[in-house]
Amino acid sequence: MSLIVQDLDVSFGANTVISNLNFEMKSGDIVAIIGPSGCGKTTLLRAISGLLKPTKGTIVLNGKNIEKQPCEQREVGMLFQRPVLFPFKDVLGNVLFAYKRKKDADMDQVNAILGELGLTGKENQAIETLSGGEAQRVVLARALLTHPRLMLLDEPLSALDVDLRRKIAHEIRSVLKARGIPAIHVTHDPEEAAIIGDQVLHWKDLQSSDDSLNEHSQSNTQIMGEPSSAPPNSITEQDTNDD
Amino acid sequence: MKSTVFRTVPVVLYLSMILLPLLLAVDRLMLVTGSNPFESMYLIDEHPFGAEALRFTFIQAFLSAVLTLVIGIPIAWWLGRYQWRFIGIIRAALTLPFVTPSIVAAMGFLALIRKDGVLHSIGIDLRTETGFIGALSSSTGIENSGHIIALLVAHAWFNLALVVRFVEPKIATLPPRYEDAFRMLPAGESTLNRLTQFWWPMLKIPILSAFTFTFLFSFTSFALVRWLAPDMWTLEALMATVGGSAGIPNYRLDVSQFVLGASTLQAIVLIAALSLSGRLQQRNSREIELVSEGYSRTTIGRPGLLPRIGILFATVFALAPLASMALASVRIRNRTTESYRWSFEAWQSAFQGDLSYASVPEALTNSLVYALGCLLISCILGFFVAHSIHALEKQKRYKLAQMLDVMSMLPLAVSGVMVGIGVLLGVLKIWPALFSFYGLPMLPHAMLTTPFVIRILLPAMREIDSDYDAMGMVLGYNSTQRFFKIKIPLLKPQIVVASALSMAFSLGEFGASWVVLRSGAWDTLPILVDQLMSRPKYFELVTPTAMAAATVLMFTTFLLFVIAERFRAHRGGGF
Repeated sequence: MSLIVQDLDVSFGANTVISNLNFEMKSGDIVAIIGPSGCGKTTLLRAISGLLKPTKGTIVLNGKNIEKQPCEQREVGMLFQRPVLFPFKDVLGNVLFAYKRKKDADMDQVNAILGELGLTGKENQAIETLSGGEAQRVVLARALLTHPRLMLLDEPLSALDVDLRRKIAHEIRSVLKARGIPAIHVTHDPEEAAIIGDQVLHWKDLQSSDDSLNEHSQSNTQIMGEPSSAPPNSITEQDTNDD
Repeated sequence: MKSTVFRTVPVVLYLSMILLPLLLAVDRLMLVTGSNPFESMYLIDEHPFGAEALRFTFIQAFLSAVLTLVIGIPIAWWLGRYQWRFIGIIRAALTLPFVTPSIVAAMGFLALIRKDGVLHSIGIDLRTETGFIGALSSSTGIENSGHIIALLVAHAWFNLALVVRFVEPKIATLPPRYEDAFRMLPAGESTLNRLTQFWWPMLKIPILSAFTFTFLFSFTSFALVRWLAPDMWTLEALMATVGGSAGIPNYRLDVSQFVLGASTLQAIVLIAALSLSGRLQQRNSREIELVSEGYSRTTIGRPGLLPRIGILFATVFALAPLASMALASVRIRNRTTESYRWSFEAWQSAFQGDLSYASVPEALTNSLVYALGCLLISCILGFFVAHSIHALEKQKRYKLAQMLDVMSMLPLAVSGVMVGIGVLLGVLKIWPALFSFYGLPMLPHAMLTTPFVIRILLPAMREIDSDYDAMGMVLGYNSTQRFFKIKIPLLKPQIVVASALSMAFSLGEFGASWVVLRSGAWDTLPILVDQLMSRPKYFELVTPTAMAAATVLMFTTFLLFVIAERFRAHRGGGF
């Protein structure tokens, strides 16, 4: 798996949000991108996912140009800042949204993922009763069940408190690594970036021309002084204080 | 391309449905009279009852709006200020009149004011105007003062919910610290000062909005005028009565002239009232911060004696006509002995159709078929028109969206009778054979209800977080799958409410049906009630049978709302 983003421009009318952005990532990598609020991180992920059309540039996923492909055919998973759960479904109903038809659902796999993310026993719970951390885990479970070729994480932990953020960041890294799913994680929090990402990029470096990932990336060890492969907390542990 | 077609077709269909009959009707009336709508407006008084109808329409609408505020504001104040037990039930009781079909309201008030009614028994004789009311008539010189009072009170009863719904939430959600701060200032020391300098500025917008809507509904009221003030004419009542003779070349030109002029004038007044109300609400929507009503109510505490008596009176006032009507259906008066007996004979007569072309089950079936047809047309069309407006807004084509939004509200500026006449004359021009089509009444019903569907669904669509759709896309759902699996379930509560309202309006619709329905075999329940009440009353079961039919209509409407509420409250997993 590889992703190459070349000369990417995204404008909204006269307002250019992304200009001449270049980077590439290799198979199985988790890349964290740090940048201040409003710099265009979310726009980049939306362009890669197909939720918005770039003004210019190419996006190549696994050797195939995807910038003209509709979002629903790109096979990418995405976690938004706020957990997007459908209020008319319970936890299980939301997770089963990963399958277009209920009869296609592999319940063994569903139960395994729910167990792995500490959601066993909450299947029939209404989503309004979930804590912020639990809600984001349900979204993660659903995204994993779609077997995405690439996972996009748009500051999914920004609404959580520091301890819980750290804990879930380890969980996310662990489940993605266990499945070999490559991911791009955008955040303004260097600590979170260091926990999740194999490599950490700074937004300002991505928009310079002819720059590649390798020249501007730092290992997370360089930023935080702690390797991201540090053993995460048990992910079946409940985040009871995350509200 | 596909999505453009998908958006354009329902909009074109809808605009054709609402505009074509009205334009064709105007065209026909212009052809017959040889004058344009604005010229005809100045010729209204050439009809023998035109000038009187014009004057009475404005006077009764204004007085009705004033009386509604006089009764409604204290009720809204008490209800919003204090912590009430069973507030949900009280609110439901006070809202009940507004969802009551107008013909049922008319029957309820007739049951209250008739010779054996509650009001008569306590010395208030509004029908034959004896006693206090008679003295009032003689001293003021106003003819039919009893009928006018009955009509005004009925309009106030009907529109009470508007005042409560507009004003009460504002009082209930205002942070108490505002009033506390004002009380500590010299200007806030006296109650009068607090009322004029604090509460009036705070509440004037919802109060004026309620006034505008009450004026508007009273202006176009038909069933209540027809039954409670039978000797008086309003523009709406006169148009309904003479409308059948309009649009025929070389026949009763005065009628065509009157209908064209009166409908133009009504449309102008209604558009002005709607614009005013829209502006007022727009200003209201960006005022001050609000708090949860639970917090505000707890701060003020439990009500004293006066508010308790006031709210009890309001609840009795709201329920009395309906209870009185239900009782009148089983209390039969013997005209020779002037005695009463309790019996279900009238119900039997109503269900067997002994006194009318159609029986209650037949009329109910017609009403339900029309209501279901109306529901399908108005909900499907309303949904897609709202969807198109919303799509234009998302594409930032605000001007086009706004234009479509305003046009979608056009039928709100047209009364039931005007729509009925529009369909009658429009159909006559395009396809006269349609007159024998059983489903024809669905058209005016859908014309009248679709704007409500749009008004309910459009704000809900605007409120749906775009992340839901984005998430659907990321999960691999195409636009059709997202529409059925995400958008429709998210809008389910509003769709249920819109469907219930649409069916309820159709079930109770009287003005347009009265003009359009030409065959006894198609009679709806409101028309059946009207027919029964129009019969000579020498037979003792006539009035109780009409009351029984009206009671069936009332219960059907309420049942619909109860069902809608149940669905709306449903929050379990699964659609």
